[in-house]
Amino acid sequence: MSGSKAKSEKSSTPTVAYSEIAVRNNATVVEYCRTSMAALSGCTAGLLGLTGLHGAAFYIFTVFVLWFMINLKAGSQFNKFFMSRKALLTNGFFGQLFTYILCWTFLYGMVHVY
Amino acid sequence: MPATLFHRFVLIIGFLSLFHAAYSAAQHRSFLRINEQTFTHLPLDIIFQSVGSLFAVMYGVMHIAGDFKEIKASADLENKTWETYRNVPSFYTFNHRGRTFSPFYIHSQHSDESE
Repeated sequence: MSGSKAKSEKSSTPTVAYSEIAVRNNATVVEYCRTSMAALSGCTAGLLGLTGLHGAAFYIFTVFVLWFMINLKAGSQFNKFFMSRKALLTNGFFGQLFTYILCWTFLYGMVHVY
Repeated sequence: MPATLFHRFVLIIGFLSLFHAAYSAAQHRSFLRINEQTFTHLPLDIIFQSVGSLFAVMYGVMHIAGDFKEIKASADLENKTWETYRNVPSFYTFNHRGRTFSPFYIHSQHSDESE
């Protein structure tokens, strides 16, 4: 069938065919959330005036909150939409960190320095 | 669940509230600078407002970003019946000779004789 590819989950479980379009759509939605989340939490950290490791802790906190909210949105049938929960938490962690730091330093400068 | 007007409203209110919190924090800093006090931490209401509005914006963004689709390839096939797949338009026959047995068939004798 066109537009879908088969992936084997584990050797014990039978092969499940996943629709590639749906997988990509879900990844796009999550990526959109994650990027805007990094920017917004960076802005919040900047205006709270966090410095040093407090900012890093705040970033980790917001990553967990986003994960929780995505779980909440997906609801009880989590396996219908995503393959693994852990990948959802850890994907793009360091990539978004730079977006976070950019907004953090910008807002810190705007609010607390000038 | 698609994005509704409510989610957009939450998003806009969250953004405005976040901006207001930032403005309040800047004013607090300038107040401290004028009074020559040292900065220890922001007032609690600004902290709560900023974190709360961050969550509100998060909620709005997550619903506006779009819906999740089912990743199983057979998800959209399960709702269709066998009749849908048996229907092949290429094999439609509109001019079958058996139509002459139909009681509603009108025999066009005139066209046969003209040949």
